[in-house]
Amino acid sequence: MSTVIHAIIGYFFLLVAVRVLSRRPGAQMTPFEFVIIFLMGGVIILTTVGDDRSETNSICAVITVGLMHRLVSWLAVRFRFFGNFVEGTPLVVLKDGQWQKDIMRRMRLEDMDVMAAARTTGVRTLDKIKYAILERNGAISIINTDK
Amino acid sequence: MAATAQTEPVRDTVPKVNDELAVGSDLEFQQRWWRFTRVLWMFFTALIIADLLGCFGRGWLANARIRTNDGTMDVQYERIERFSTASIMRIEFGPSAIHDGKVQLWMGESFLKSLGNQRVVPQPLLSVIGQGGITYTFPVTTVPAAVEFGLEPLKPGLYELNLRVPGAEQINPKVFVMP
Repeated sequence: MSTVIHAIIGYFFLLVAVRVLSRRPGAQMTPFEFVIIFLMGGVIILTTVGDDRSETNSICAVITVGLMHRLVSWLAVRFRFFGNFVEGTPLVVLKDGQWQKDIMRRMRLEDMDVMAAARTTGVRTLDKIKYAILERNGAISIINTDK
Repeated sequence: MAATAQTEPVRDTVPKVNDELAVGSDLEFQQRWWRFTRVLWMFFTALIIADLLGCFGRGWLANARIRTNDGTMDVQYERIERFSTASIMRIEFGPSAIHDGKVQLWMGESFLKSLGNQRVVPQPLLSVIGQGGITYTFPVTTVPAAVEFGLEPLKPGLYELNLRVPGAEQINPKVFVMP
């Protein structure tokens, strides 16, 4: 019983904590940020399973987290606001050759991050980018001026 | 029989930037989200400061001390404990609590049931169950004599401890156990 409750609380706390880290996890994460995310998960595990190391307890915890994730995913698709809450919204960080300074600052992005994404699409310089979009999964999409 | 695949015509539902690039950005939500995160970070900071001060146990504000007016007992304990986390409660006995080289201490049931008394140092000579609790008898050679109880709370909540040296004033410190 307590494992299930702890798993639900832990899931939601991690969901909010990871979201408010601002710089989105996934494609934009540095190795150290990966370590931080794993560290958070590790700390939550301690309270979730407590001193009950039984197979039953572990399986119940895993199933609870799985069910929570399924529920949250369903809610995110069903309700736009909830989807924005848990997954964020795409943000245009460069438009028509203009940096969107406020968004860049708040998302803690630098021109280097955008250029790194641009290079993967074959764009050589920043002035060849028409749009750069910070996607919900943390990737940066590049639309160059030729397209 | 082959199942019929469900289809739906594609509509231009994703909001555009400059009327040419479908992004689906929701800046209004994002502004609200940034305001929310600002408040949340302030809340997190306040939470950590409160924790450092001991508002959630294991710190300066959590430490407490209570004495009987007649000087029989001086109890040092944590007024805020944490669930399933070890702590020490120390009881010092004054000269008036000691009779024939022994001191007796009665503790109410709530202490045993909720705060998870794990060990007593030194070991009592005698433990007698009754009168809604347990009475320990300890040998004493020096004054003040001190006894330590190792606690590990079994469930969260607010509990009242009942401590008494038989024939003397009873004290009832309250302890809150954090989840």
